[in-house]
Amino acid sequence: MTKHDVVGVEELEAGACKITTIEGKSIGVYYNGNEYYAIRNVCPHQQVELCKGKFTGTTLESKPHEYIYGREGEILTCPWHGWEFDVKTGKALVDPDRYRVKVYDVSIENNRVLVHMD
Amino acid sequence: MEASTTKKASKFNHGIIDCDVHQGVKSYDDLKPYMPRVWWDRLKAHNATLPFLMFRPIPLERNDAAPGNGLPSGSDPEFAKVDLLDRYNIERAVLTGNLLSISAHNNPDYAAALASAFNDYTMDTWIPSDERWLGSIVVATQDPLLAAKEIDRLGSHPRVVQVLLTSASREPYGQRRYYPIYEAAARNNLVIGIHGGGEGDGINPSTTAAGYPTTNFERHNILAIHHMSQLNSIVCEGVFERFPTLKVAFIEGGLAWLPHLMWRMDKNFRAMRNEVPWLKYKPSEYILKHVRLTTQPIEEPDNKELVQMFQLMHAEKTVMFSTDYPHWDNDTPLFVLNKLPEEMRRRVAYENAAEMYQLQERGLLAGGVAK
Repeated sequence: MTKHDVVGVEELEAGACKITTIEGKSIGVYYNGNEYYAIRNVCPHQQVELCKGKFTGTTLESKPHEYIYGREGEILTCPWHGWEFDVKTGKALVDPDRYRVKVYDVSIENNRVLVHMD
Repeated sequence: MEASTTKKASKFNHGIIDCDVHQGVKSYDDLKPYMPRVWWDRLKAHNATLPFLMFRPIPLERNDAAPGNGLPSGSDPEFAKVDLLDRYNIERAVLTGNLLSISAHNNPDYAAALASAFNDYTMDTWIPSDERWLGSIVVATQDPLLAAKEIDRLGSHPRVVQVLLTSASREPYGQRRYYPIYEAAARNNLVIGIHGGGEGDGINPSTTAAGYPTTNFERHNILAIHHMSQLNSIVCEGVFERFPTLKVAFIEGGLAWLPHLMWRMDKNFRAMRNEVPWLKYKPSEYILKHVRLTTQPIEEPDNKELVQMFQLMHAEKTVMFSTDYPHWDNDTPLFVLNKLPEEMRRRVAYENAAEMYQLQERGLLAGGVAK
């Protein structure tokens, strides 16, 4: 496992995503105000740059015509077709077993955000 | 003849023609020079005067296709050339514009003036910017005589290949009030393109045939009924008998419904032919000869079912590739075309569109006889 220094914690504001290249792979490092996440910048659907989409929340499971908003900052929505992904697991909210994007472990050391590659 | 066709086909092996690219304006004020002063004040309120009622949780224009400096996606030809044509090596692209609810407007004179202005803007800013862009003349269908006038005004331009109507209309397009549009298209040797837009907006009938839906999800699932309704009307009313050279492209309306409609039409024709004595052939024969459909937004079954669907609808004749750039649900060439067997891919990616728009004959192919 190799740790890659991507960005200083003070440089990444809450809600922001920095897209960078690590070992030839495009990866988005995202901070939701609590945690840092590293997500492969490729949508499994049509291979476009996923991390250029919106980091947001979503509607939670509910009864018909009941709307419950939640998971603010935990959902990444593709800029093309709007597919939603869980930033923690990389799994698509619909068809999670079929569609998932690779996520990487992240650690903070000396106020730097480090992405762990296998 | 056979031999030369084969030779041409092999030359076009890996080319792509994109049949649906949406160009727009940087600002609606840019249309002022092309419009009578009387309409200028409305341009400030184009969102109100161009009916577009349904809330879209995902914006229509892709944010990641924005050219920068706060300009809307699809408003800068120089950016679109790099972002779309160069990136995917697209040889020719048919522009379809973004006046997608023009025929929903209550005022036929304003709608016609806006369509004319948009066409002039396209001719002045997009068409000269790159030889890969091909143009469509958008017309407002509220007044078919005004629409015909607009087609005659611009139809002889060497890089205009199509007349664009939106799929929602006050009455179905096979009816006689629309003949002036078809006469003008035939006179100018232009394809009629019918593109989604304006369903349930303004003066048009409901978004679904059963009433107004609640969500954009529900609306988008059922959009194809408008294309089905228009195709059904055009074939049954005998438009292709009346205008034997006319070709119609159904753009952005899905595909999988076509076998259903062809089978149903042919079956009913056996029983009810005497209602339509002007039809000399089975409805599906008119469709295979005169009608083509574009891929985006393609249904996404698994690959095996996709190929089966393409076989059922004779895709080697009937289907043309499109991206729908820069809209939210656009398809990359890699996604759709890579799923098809080689022979079918070549027909869908290139040859069907080259034939439909007569690009070889017009000298509009890079690999053709003239540039």
